[in-house]
Amino acid sequence: MKLKQEASYFSCLLSIILIVTVCFIAGTCDPALGKEKKKDLPERSISVSPEYTGVIVSQGEDVSIDLDVSNGGRKDEDIELKLTSIPDGWKARIKTYSYGVTGVHIKSGKSKSLTLRAEPGENVGPGKYTFGIEARTADGKLTSKSHVTITVKEKKGEKKSKGINIITSYPVLRGPADGKFEFSLEVENKLDKDAIFNLTAKGPENWEINFKPAYEEKFISSVRLKSDQSQSVAVEVKPYPWAKPGEYPIHVKVSSPEAKGEASLMVTLTGNYKLDAGTANGLLSLNALRGKPANLSVYVKNSGSAPLNNIRFLSVKPENWKVKFSPEKIDSLASQELKQVEVTITPTDQALIGDYSVLLTIEAGRVSKSIELRVSVNASAAWGWIGIGIIVLVVAGLAFLFIKVGRR
Amino acid sequence: MQGLYAVFRKEICDHFTSYRFVILFALIAMISLITSYMAGIHLREDLEALAKTRYPFLMLFSTPGAMFSMVQFVAFFGPLIGLVLGFDSINRERAHGTLIKLVSQPIYRDAVINGKFLAGVMTVSVMLLSIILVITGFGLAIVGLVPGVEEIWRLFVFLIISIFYVSFWIALSILFSILFKSIVTSALASGALWIFLWLIIPVGANVLANAVAPINAHEETQAETIIKNARIKEITSLASPMVLYSEATAAIIDPMLNTTRSITLMGPMEKLLSSRFQNPLPLGQSLLVVFPHLTVLIAITLICFAVSYLVFMLQEIRT
Repeated sequence: MKLKQEASYFSCLLSIILIVTVCFIAGTCDPALGKEKKKDLPERSISVSPEYTGVIVSQGEDVSIDLDVSNGGRKDEDIELKLTSIPDGWKARIKTYSYGVTGVHIKSGKSKSLTLRAEPGENVGPGKYTFGIEARTADGKLTSKSHVTITVKEKKGEKKSKGINIITSYPVLRGPADGKFEFSLEVENKLDKDAIFNLTAKGPENWEINFKPAYEEKFISSVRLKSDQSQSVAVEVKPYPWAKPGEYPIHVKVSSPEAKGEASLMVTLTGNYKLDAGTANGLLSLNALRGKPANLSVYVKNSGSAPLNNIRFLSVKPENWKVKFSPEKIDSLASQELKQVEVTITPTDQALIGDYSVLLTIEAGRVSKSIELRVSVNASAAWGWIGIGIIVLVVAGLAFLFIKVGRR
Repeated sequence: MQGLYAVFRKEICDHFTSYRFVILFALIAMISLITSYMAGIHLREDLEALAKTRYPFLMLFSTPGAMFSMVQFVAFFGPLIGLVLGFDSINRERAHGTLIKLVSQPIYRDAVINGKFLAGVMTVSVMLLSIILVITGFGLAIVGLVPGVEEIWRLFVFLIISIFYVSFWIALSILFSILFKSIVTSALASGALWIFLWLIIPVGANVLANAVAPINAHEETQAETIIKNARIKEITSLASPMVLYSEATAAIIDPMLNTTRSITLMGPMEKLLSSRFQNPLPLGQSLLVVFPHLTVLIAITLICFAVSYLVFMLQEIRT
């Protein structure tokens, strides 16, 4: 009885172990099953398929379409590629980044991406153009065919320059002659290969024109662009400081041996703003008595090329001091014109003796000029004379005393 | 004039040969030498402050050495010289009975008092000039400073003010010696007045200022109250010739000083803009700052002498 019971325990345990083991095997079995599936691949299978089978482009534009070449078989394959039909007037080829491609080796189950590049000739008009693509294994047993249809639409707008495209968003800039102008050009390489483009510009005499990369402070004279890449280039223009207001064209030329492009830019000068101020003899110091006004003549000169309007005068002074300008403001000052302003500075009668700094600011909209004056506050000598008078009086009294009561 | 010169010469002779004067002069010369030596040493160590000022030579007189600067020293002990020189000038003659003998000579009575006063002034001038020259020599030797023209002028003005200041005390002590018959009384009276003007007046000024414009330490006081307090204190303490002299010479010796007030109300812009140029004042402006002080100092000296002259001339001296 006891033995039988033990046996039943044992079988029970055994069955549990079995179940666990089976479960375990089942768990580990999955990848093995996947491998089995791969084995299900056909012996050999290749395919070539374009990313887009039909595209629409405008006239004169190049087309690049990704080609997906895959090996669906169990064997690695050498696949030959060729274009079976190219419409008249087009140039087309299959390529990687830099080479033309006629064959490609693809491992089992893998695929490779290539590019079909089609360039229309000059006389290619609007219409539908079909390109045939054929992939074939090296032994010629398997082939895969595909095609791409390019619909060319009539191009609207200006005729683009060949090989290079220059776009500028703001072709006309305006500002004062002492300013700096920066144009932004978008240069696009339309050639099918890398190229170095020389940058040259022609502007008015004595103007400084430099090319800079966008957001970088260095001057460049050429730019290297990959095929189809575009790059923004800044054109920095410093006008001749004494240039007269007016319109000044600037011609920018971007050229490589194969292609060249031009862009016309325009700078409109509005004249520069400059203000000069000072005293007639250059002396910036002033003596003043406490509570008494002191005068100073200040000249204001417009040394810019544009007229200045609404010139105001401000001062930074100690508290309770008075600074008055006469006239209080100048409405308009023509270029190179000079005007004299009378400044009256009155220190407070409580001011301590010593040197004070008084700042005069002449402000005309966007330009201003400051003059710092040293105002020496002196005590009035009047009290000195009163003091001397008192002493003289006392001495006189003493002398009177000597005469009156002396010689006794 | 004959009599005046004779009295003057005799008095100077007496002053320079008396033990009293020799002891006093030795004491003062010693103190001033030590003070200037300390100031010189101090200046040599603190060359930075020396480099900042335009007139470094004057710092020999304004820098406190051991305890006080040269200027303060004259302010406190100048009166002592004046009092010691004059407190017994008339009543000693009277006590010894020589005054009657003197006036029985062909000498006018006013020549006696004029001669005595001028002799005192002369003695003090010699004393102060020699002290200033000794300090100047010290400056040359210890610090290597050479006085400029402006500095020499300022020292000259300082010397003149100091002579007037000490002369005031001489005149005062002569007045006491005329008023009091006893030498001891006049000595005590001059000493008491000296201490009163030196110690009591500043304390009294403080009390008065706090009574009129009280400054509470626990509460925030308005700026006006503080100014008022300071002004009352300053004006009241000007009753002391020591304060008068100290303020006057401070502005002469320190060209940067542009006011005699201890505290002034200044706006932030005013403060900023006035600190932009830190230029010393020219001597004329420094003089104008303290001109009221100088006027009062000279006037009280002359008035004090005039009063003693009047009293002496009208006095009965034969008894």
